[in-house]
Amino acid sequence: MSIDRETMRYLGWWLAFGVLMCLLPLVVGTGTLRILIFAHFLAMFAMSWDFLSGRTGYISFGHPFLIGIAGYTTAILSFRFGVPIYYSIPAAVVATIVGGTLFFLPALRIRGTYFALVTLAFMEILYQLTKVVAPKITGGTRGMSGLESIVSGAVNNYYMSFGIMFVIGVVLWLLIRTRLGVALSAIRMNEEAVRSTGHSTTKLKLFAFSVSAAVSGVGGAFYVHYIGSIAPRGMFEINFLFTILVAALLGGAETIIGPIMGAYFLTVLLEYLRPVMPGMERYLLYGGIALVLYVVRPAGIYSLIADAGRKVQEWRR
Amino acid sequence: MTATAGPLLEVRDLHMTFGGIRAVQGISFQVAEGETLGLIGPNGAGKTTVFNMIMAELKPTSGEIWFGGENITRVPTHERVKRGIARTYQVPQPFGEMSVGSNIRVGMAPDDIWKLIAVGADPAAEAEIGRSVGFSDEQIDMLPSELAMGDLRRLEMARNVAVSPRLLLLDEVFAGLTLREIGQISELLVEKKRKDGLTYIIVSHDLRALAPLVDRVIVMSFGELIAEGSFDEVVKDEAVRDAYLGQ
Repeated sequence: MSIDRETMRYLGWWLAFGVLMCLLPLVVGTGTLRILIFAHFLAMFAMSWDFLSGRTGYISFGHPFLIGIAGYTTAILSFRFGVPIYYSIPAAVVATIVGGTLFFLPALRIRGTYFALVTLAFMEILYQLTKVVAPKITGGTRGMSGLESIVSGAVNNYYMSFGIMFVIGVVLWLLIRTRLGVALSAIRMNEEAVRSTGHSTTKLKLFAFSVSAAVSGVGGAFYVHYIGSIAPRGMFEINFLFTILVAALLGGAETIIGPIMGAYFLTVLLEYLRPVMPGMERYLLYGGIALVLYVVRPAGIYSLIADAGRKVQEWRR
Repeated sequence: MTATAGPLLEVRDLHMTFGGIRAVQGISFQVAEGETLGLIGPNGAGKTTVFNMIMAELKPTSGEIWFGGENITRVPTHERVKRGIARTYQVPQPFGEMSVGSNIRVGMAPDDIWKLIAVGADPAAEAEIGRSVGFSDEQIDMLPSELAMGDLRRLEMARNVAVSPRLLLLDEVFAGLTLREIGQISELLVEKKRKDGLTYIIVSHDLRALAPLVDRVIVMSFGELIAEGSFDEVVKDEAVRDAYLGQ
């Protein structure tokens, strides 16, 4: 992979972000760190969605299906069968990639609204299956709790979740800056024209689906071990899906950095609204903020910051 | 580029049916390497359907397509492009949010995931292809929405040049262009043919623009081939006059 000067400059920003976030536990309390841990997991899910849907235009409403496969696989293997989490987590990621391939099959024939609805159906099917098929293993409607933790304490979990999110972020961001990223974007704009330039769109889409699934798999597996439980209602709830979508779109789809910004913004906003609005009404307020942002700035928070950066550069000249 | 002993493209008894509509009914023709074939006919004759089948964007109901001595009837679009067939569309199909240079980048990119990741873009080569179809350096950074119709047709040409085709299918290549733009595109086609030895099949309603470019013309009407010959022969053909003027 050739790295140009602009990429190097951006990598400098990534490094600064990494250093800043690593120093954060020195200045903030564990309560804030616990909020940020959720932001990191949400960022992983939103980046996973962005790499697939933001790039190729295949809008997925079924990412909780992928996250659920990972969560249930590692939970069942470790909790029911005593498999060490060092094996159950990689197995969960592999299972999610296989699930991502299943997810991919409809994309061979349909796209747009129909594809989105089929992915939603995938999520609903898994929701129902986890409730009724082998409840002794899946835990049925109550799911499983008391799952083994990977590390203990807010600080350790903060570093672990940030480290995973950071690595995923940098890798996906580098990927979208290659010609692969250009080809995936071209699929969103005109898939037929991509084929007529000699590209197998099936191969490109399969790669995007597999990478997206792998990221969801990593995020999902670590997430359930962090929260220590899994239940179908929490995993396959429509609000969970919307939170992933809103984080990606609010931050700025097709950018990878945007979903990270969106995840931080959303999680912190919801948490800091909690004392003022303890009930579900705070979702109404965040919905309102999201709506205003979409109308004023459809390209998301990332574009706001990028524009501000450009203006500062022009002003300095 | 490898020359073939037989015809470069051979279409054998091609049929295409959409429900009860027989869009193409037993079309057969050949194109020799380096030849320019005009494909004309009234609206709805099935010309674009033939292009779609040659590119595997539509699966023929029956019939065969041979390219370079190989039966490619079951070969998918992207593999046909790799073998050397490319096309333009009646309505240009640029990647709308990408600059001219990035549009060309997609055409130049290999069909190999790892090479797409590992090998960086070559902006100089992209600009060179852009310039070869008549783009200025400023236009290479422009978005398709900033280009005139003639430039959009150039953009499709550039993207096709980037895949190094042997046969180029040009669908309504003069549609929506001014007389000046028609002249420029015609010159470009002649120049590319001279330099790269391209073979063309050109669909056009603008017979005046088509005439000086083609070696031979085939005429379709209601999905059937009704005439074949030199441009002068077919325009005098009674069946062709009937098809166009409804006499």
